[in-house]
Amino acid sequence: MEKIATICVYCGCGCGLFLHVEDGRIVGASPSPAHPVSRGRLCIKGWLAADFVHHPDRLKTPLVRKGGRMVRGSWDEALSLTARRLKEIREESGPDALAVLTSAKGTNEENYLLAKLARAALKTNNVDHVARLCHAPSVAGLGFALGSGAMTNPIRSLLSSDAILVTGSNTTEQHPLVAAHILEAQSRGATLIVVDPRRTQMADLADIHLSPRLGTDVAWTNGILNLIIELGLADEVFIRERTRGFSALKELVTRYSPEAAERIAGIPSGDLEKAAVAFGEAARAAVVYAMGTTQHSCGTDNVLALANLVLATGNVGRDGTGIYPLRGHQNVQGACDMGALPNVYSGYQKVEDPAVRSKMKEAWGTDLPSAPGLTAVEIMGAAEEGRIRGIYISGENPMMSYPDRQGVKRALSSLEFLAVADIFPTETTALADVVLPVASFAEKDGTFTSTERRVQRLRRAVSPPGEARPEVEVAADLLSRLGIDADYPTPEDVMAEISSVTPSYGGISRRRLGISGLHWPCPNREHPGTEILHRDSFPMGRANFFPVVHQELDADPEYPLLLTTGRSLFHFHTGTMTRRTHLLDRELSRPTVDINLEDATALGVRRGSRVVVESREESLEIEADVSEVVPKGMVFIPFHFSEAPANQLTAKNLDPKSKIPDFKRTPVRIRRADP
Amino acid sequence: MTATCAFFLRRENLLSLVEELAETLEVVAPVRVEGVATFATWRGEALALDGDNLLASPLEFFLPQKEVLFRYVQYSGRYTFSEDAPRARLILGMRPCDLQALKVIDGIFGSEIPDRPYAGRRMSTIIVALNCTSPGEGCFCRSMGSGPGAEEGYDLLLTDLGRGYLVEAGSPVGVYILRAHQRHFEEADPGDFREKVRLLALTGEEMIKRGPSLNPEEIREAIDGTDWKEAGRRCLACGGCSLVCPVCHCFSVIDRGVPDGERLRCRDSCILSGFSRMTSGANPRATLGERLRHWYLDKFVYIPEKTGLFGCVGCGRCSRVCLGEVDRWSPFKEATE
Repeated sequence: MEKIATICVYCGCGCGLFLHVEDGRIVGASPSPAHPVSRGRLCIKGWLAADFVHHPDRLKTPLVRKGGRMVRGSWDEALSLTARRLKEIREESGPDALAVLTSAKGTNEENYLLAKLARAALKTNNVDHVARLCHAPSVAGLGFALGSGAMTNPIRSLLSSDAILVTGSNTTEQHPLVAAHILEAQSRGATLIVVDPRRTQMADLADIHLSPRLGTDVAWTNGILNLIIELGLADEVFIRERTRGFSALKELVTRYSPEAAERIAGIPSGDLEKAAVAFGEAARAAVVYAMGTTQHSCGTDNVLALANLVLATGNVGRDGTGIYPLRGHQNVQGACDMGALPNVYSGYQKVEDPAVRSKMKEAWGTDLPSAPGLTAVEIMGAAEEGRIRGIYISGENPMMSYPDRQGVKRALSSLEFLAVADIFPTETTALADVVLPVASFAEKDGTFTSTERRVQRLRRAVSPPGEARPEVEVAADLLSRLGIDADYPTPEDVMAEISSVTPSYGGISRRRLGISGLHWPCPNREHPGTEILHRDSFPMGRANFFPVVHQELDADPEYPLLLTTGRSLFHFHTGTMTRRTHLLDRELSRPTVDINLEDATALGVRRGSRVVVESREESLEIEADVSEVVPKGMVFIPFHFSEAPANQLTAKNLDPKSKIPDFKRTPVRIRRADP
Repeated sequence: MTATCAFFLRRENLLSLVEELAETLEVVAPVRVEGVATFATWRGEALALDGDNLLASPLEFFLPQKEVLFRYVQYSGRYTFSEDAPRARLILGMRPCDLQALKVIDGIFGSEIPDRPYAGRRMSTIIVALNCTSPGEGCFCRSMGSGPGAEEGYDLLLTDLGRGYLVEAGSPVGVYILRAHQRHFEEADPGDFREKVRLLALTGEEMIKRGPSLNPEEIREAIDGTDWKEAGRRCLACGGCSLVCPVCHCFSVIDRGVPDGERLRCRDSCILSGFSRMTSGANPRATLGERLRHWYLDKFVYIPEKTGLFGCVGCGRCSRVCLGEVDRWSPFKEATE
């Protein structure tokens, strides 16, 4: 039996684990006691991380659509068809009729090559990935306020906090190893404040739980900030020396008196004051947030409000302080870092900047497009309108994960050419013209970058099944077929190119990544990496306050309940992997809509009743679960289940600043299903 | 135990002995992978026998986290089955607590109608145990009567005396190995045995000094008085405590593949709700608190009823791995103090 040290494939914690391999098969997994995040612990998904790897459903040969049916083809046939069709569409309709969606499950090397495929080979900046649906508001909001959209501190830093405010994060279920750090800090005396409409386990364990009305994050955050300023708990030295724009903010937040905040957000003013005092008085305070903050049509404003809070209290640049956007995929940070975004190259270098473009042009040896491309949801819209005609999708399943499922289906079905690379057949591969079988995380080498900017090594434990190949090889092959030099014998060679063109990854190389990896920015080979950002200064010198106001969304009397979509502890994203993991699927084997007891009683619905949930978009039938976790007026559906795809109900309401869809607030109504 | 066959092995001779053993057998031993000591097939690297017991217990070499019970192939409507033969293995460095755990498992999988895959592995595995002179912080084997010294259940037993190892045979296989590889050994003198006794006594004392001792009988008594609802609030349902426990052995069986495929046996955990949930949806242990209570009851009531042995060997792994950062024995430490 061999033990291979590698990184978990699920959430952004980036836990170190061992895969136990016997006779070319994975027979078990265990946590690494030496890994700085997992510290000998894992969540249940981590323990079972490799369970799906040898599942018989794995895609093992390339598939090509012929006469309406998918038939087995060779790699050469599949890739030459892909290259030819993409080229034809580019020649007929121009490069912007093409798009590439990369995968947050892929390695940095794969994401880099796929972004290069879009820009250098296809000549379009239409490249994006699932980050658009999770932390685009953090990239935009924190980028503006602090100069960087990533977590400011490592997870470990939370152990030194005196107060931790967790909002919009079901941490024990979605980032269990971050939760473990937070709970350890609480045991050591830190005050835990959880702001979440739902009474999650995290909320139950909190010292102070505030349950705001959905969509009022700006109001209560401003309310806390107003109290902190009034009580003289703001860090005036920090504000004076390291920020700009405070006076406008100070004036604005006076509108959010405890009474006003209570009126808007429904949080009792006494509770809000308790939270403000605990956060404001703490010598070292931290803000942790996730999708509950970002997935709103005011997502960027929500992030800006939280940034204002940490800046006004001077909680940046020190151990135990900071702002922690928790990222949901093990490499969604890396996919962003690698420039799988429509407006930036790797390391967030803007495509519009002529100096950057000419550097990349030289590195890649070809002309590059200058206008930023379309974002993920816009790509679907453009496809539906016929402006985009060919897409290459790597390991994403937009049919399940994007808003407005019917629209996505129309978009993907109307394409002239769709290639999808994945490890399992999905609702999206079903619509493809070419399906490319690729290696899973356990079958390839490369690097992942976790939520705390920690670049870590992924190691191959077993061979891919059948003819499946690591996508880094597939991307390199396609680059060559499209006339771009792509001589990468190993993923290490790709990383060498990444570090040569990406300042923040300048010092990253496989050999330097020991058990703890390296935190970017790491500009050169001697640099030890940067655990805590903004210690002495911000990238633009001073940090920016950006006053934001609460925008009341109109209630829809015909659709009186508000639907929030999200994940459960036992499944991951669209369920492709976890629903094929026996113990996880047994734990939660069918979708339910969580309804508060009062609403359920009014609707005449019991646990186990079949109900129809209707939104302005569509409707779906699903089983009800009556729960005290959701408050009155709110319902919750996880989006893992193709039997009741939650995104059938969601709409393409985008945040104007970051283009993230409003997954957390869809007006719906519920009735009992006809027997 | 009187040593009918015992030798002294110089420190520098251990590797050459292992090398020789590895010519005919797969040798599993603690080795370092990315700086972490873990049991794996020895491929010539340095041994990591010092330090705390390993987080992943050697139980997986007898009951893997996932094993293929058999493969099935359908042909013209008829099924044929095939299974793998167990491999000959030698495990080096198993600690007394894990040895005791294996004895408990023997009482479950090896009694009455023996479980074939388990019995096959058990019989084809040679155990070279290592007496524990470096217990971890959370270890309490002495309270559970499973350490720090091993009494039985090994083929060979090593005790680290500093300059080398006292090697004692505990089975005919052990005697055979000592004889067959005699050139690596020297005569053990009576002082070596005295030194072993002294070191184990020291280790035991150190464990007592470290904290309140846990008495299994008192733990059993205290289970009913524990506030399980409160304990369940902090449980993050990772299942780690049952996945690292060298005595936990519950499994589920699934068939993967139609019409051809494999029947798999996978480690399961009573901490998961699906473990006790019935098809109707009713669950006799519906809350995490109730499931935690069951975890302890199994170890201190049900397993003893079946095997006559406690289902806890005091290895302390459950607290090391607890995602909720809970010392799994703190409620009882208070109760027994």
